[in-house]
Amino acid sequence: MDESPPPPDNQSPPPPLPPTGHTGSPTDFLKGVVGKKVIVRLNSGVDYRGVLSCLDGYMNIALEQTEEHVEGKITNRYGDAFIRGNNVLYISAAEEL
Amino acid sequence: MDPSSSGIQEPFDLIRLSLSERVFVKLRGDREMTGILHVRALKHMMGHMNLILSDVEETIMIVNEGEQATVSVAKRKMGMLFVRGDGVILVSPPSRTQ
Amino acid sequence: MLIFSVFKTLTDQQVTVELKNDLSITGVLKSVDQFLNIRLDNITVLDEARHPHMMAVKNCFIRGSVVRYVQLPAEHVDTQLLEDATRREAQNQIKR
Repeated sequence: MDESPPPPDNQSPPPPLPPTGHTGSPTDFLKGVVGKKVIVRLNSGVDYRGVLSCLDGYMNIALEQTEEHVEGKITNRYGDAFIRGNNVLYISAAEEL
Repeated sequence: MDPSSSGIQEPFDLIRLSLSERVFVKLRGDREMTGILHVRALKHMMGHMNLILSDVEETIMIVNEGEQATVSVAKRKMGMLFVRGDGVILVSPPSRTQ
Repeated sequence: MLIFSVFKTLTDQQVTVELKNDLSITGVLKSVDQFLNIRLDNITVLDEARHPHMMAVKNCFIRGSVVRYVQLPAEHVDTQLLEDATRREAQNQIKR
């Protein structure tokens, strides 16, 4: 590796902020979605849509009014559901934060 | 919304509140079961989400590969069962299911 | 760790350990450790025809991580005690 990192380019403006969204950290996002409708996708591809009641650092998740979606179809409903964090691929906000 | 107002402050509380209730458990390998929850292990421990359930009915979905993939269902009952946490995907108290 | 204690109280009882590779082994629980590694004596395998290599095995050590389920003798598990202990453990956790 003989390439030195390129010198900082003082001409270029700072990267533009995302137009609508949230500039906070991932933690801020997670705090923000508590109590909101979310979509939780698992590694298996199954989606859970519900109201996020709480979560912890392992991404263990408690959802309320949960619908299980497999390939676009609702396959189950749960009043409360606890999802073990290691199965979680992502958490997506399903309403305005 | 303040999550603490509901009495559930973290995900594990949900399960503590389900003790001695019949719960629905979804597991890896297309397995599901219901059983009465007696123990769940502490968090912050290796292999947390270990469970002990009684009066268990397990349902296993078996996908038969072939020209037309069919799914057959096997069921079995067990009196008292330890379930290792790393196979658990989801736990729900079905008594509160809509 | 509560579940470890449960297993310790079940030593010398007959249990059935189901592994993640679908092998089911019934035997007498000789010992267990904090990782839930399990030592079984006097074992029999559920479907011996499918696992002929297991026929000569009389005792085994099972690594905890390969276990899917353990079927326990219900009459030797005090569920009320376990629930109380679980609640107590959860309480201690909140205080900490």
